[in-house]
Amino acid sequence: MKLTGSENKKLMIEGLWNNNPVFKQVLGICSTLAVTNLVLNTMVMCMALVFTLSLSAATVSILRNLTPHNIRMMVETLIIAFYVIIVDVLLKAYWPEMSGNLGPYVGLIITNCIVMGRCEAYGNTNPPGKAFMDGLFNALGYSFVLLIVATFRELFGMGTFLGLAMPYFSGPYWDKWIIMVMPPGAFFMLGIVVWVFRSIQAVREEKSS
Amino acid sequence: MIRKQPWFPIAYMFCVTAFFSSIVIGLTRLTSERVEANEQLAFERAVLSVLPGMDVDKMARSEIHKTFTESVNAPDASSNGAYIARQNGQITAYALPISGQGFWAPIKGVIGIETDKKTITGIAFYEQNETPGLGAEITQAPFRNQFEGKVMASEDEPINIRRPGATLGESEVHAVTGATQTSNRLEIIINTALRQWRHPNSEKGDGDSR
Repeated sequence: MKLTGSENKKLMIEGLWNNNPVFKQVLGICSTLAVTNLVLNTMVMCMALVFTLSLSAATVSILRNLTPHNIRMMVETLIIAFYVIIVDVLLKAYWPEMSGNLGPYVGLIITNCIVMGRCEAYGNTNPPGKAFMDGLFNALGYSFVLLIVATFRELFGMGTFLGLAMPYFSGPYWDKWIIMVMPPGAFFMLGIVVWVFRSIQAVREEKSS
Repeated sequence: MIRKQPWFPIAYMFCVTAFFSSIVIGLTRLTSERVEANEQLAFERAVLSVLPGMDVDKMARSEIHKTFTESVNAPDASSNGAYIARQNGQITAYALPISGQGFWAPIKGVIGIETDKKTITGIAFYEQNETPGLGAEITQAPFRNQFEGKVMASEDEPINIRRPGATLGESEVHAVTGATQTSNRLEIIINTALRQWRHPNSEKGDGDSR
C-alpha cells in the first residue's frame, strides 16, 4: 500500500497538533521535566526519540501479522529497547560528553509512554509506511513542545541559548531565575505551554463548529 | 497452521529476542573499546589540564594520550596516590585524584599540586552529574581558575569554599551561586583527599577516608 500525500498530511496534522502527544494526550511528561534545562540536551533527546519512535513503530508494524496477540506487548517492549540501546551505545562511543549530560534519560526512553502508546494504538494495526510516518510526526510533535520549554528555561534561568550568551538576559539587569534551571521550573513552563496551546485549540474548535 | 500451535508464542518470542539481542551484542562489542578509551581519555584530559604549562583544549584525542603516557607516571610509594608529572626526569607537579558524593551523583576529579606540596596548580572534573547551570558550573573556567595559585592552609581544612562575595584568604575560593549543596560537598571531597594525601598514615581507619 502506497502512502498518498493527503494521508501523510493527515498524519502530520494529527501528530503535531490535533493529537499532540504532550499537550493533548499528556504523555511522556517525565522526560519533559528532566531534560529541558538546556536546549542542546533537549535537541539530542528529541532526535533520539524521533529515531526510536519512528523505527519501532515501523518494526512493530512489519511484525504485526506474525506476532501472537497475547505476547504483543512483550515484543513491542523488546523492539523499543533494541532501538534505545543502539542510541545509547552510539552516544557513549561517539559523543561521551552528551552521554554524560543526559545520564540515565536516554535509557529511560524505553519507558516513555509515547513510544509504547503509538506502537499499540497505530503500529499494531497499520502498514509499516504509515506507522513510520505516524511515529515520526508524533515524535516531532513531542520535540517542538520540548524545545519551546527548553528555550524559555535556558533563557530565563541561565541567560543563554544553546550555550551562547543572549543580550539583555545575560546582562546585569536580568536576575537569573534559578527555579527555571531546577526541575520545578519545567512544571511551571510545561503548564503554561499546555494552557496556551489548549486555549488556541479550543478557540479554533469553537469557530469550526 | 503453525501459528495456532500452543508453543508458537514461546518459540516466536525466543527467535525475536535472539535476533535483536545479537545485533545489540554485536554493536556493543564493536564499540566497547572506544567507550573504554573515552573514559580513560576523560581522566587523562583532566590530569593534564591541572598540570602547569599544558593547553589541553587545543590537543587532539591522540595527542592527549601521547602526552599523558610521556610525561605522567602512575602513583608510587612516595607520592601517596598522586600521579607524578615529570619533565626530563625532574618532578614538575603532582596530580591527585579526588572523588566523593556530589548533590546528585558522585563527583570525580583531579587536583594539581606543585612540588612544594602546598600550592595548587589547578582543578578539573571528569565525572559529575550536578544540575546544569548551577552545580555543574564547577566544571567551568570561572570556578576552576580560582584554584590556581591557592596555598593549602596547614590546619584540618586545607581549602575553604566561602560564600560568593566573601573576602578571600590565600586558601579560600568562592562557591557557585545557587549551588550551596554542590559547593559544600565538593569542599568535603577536596579536603578529605588533601588531608589524606598529606598524612596518609594518621587517617587510616578513619571513617572519612572512604
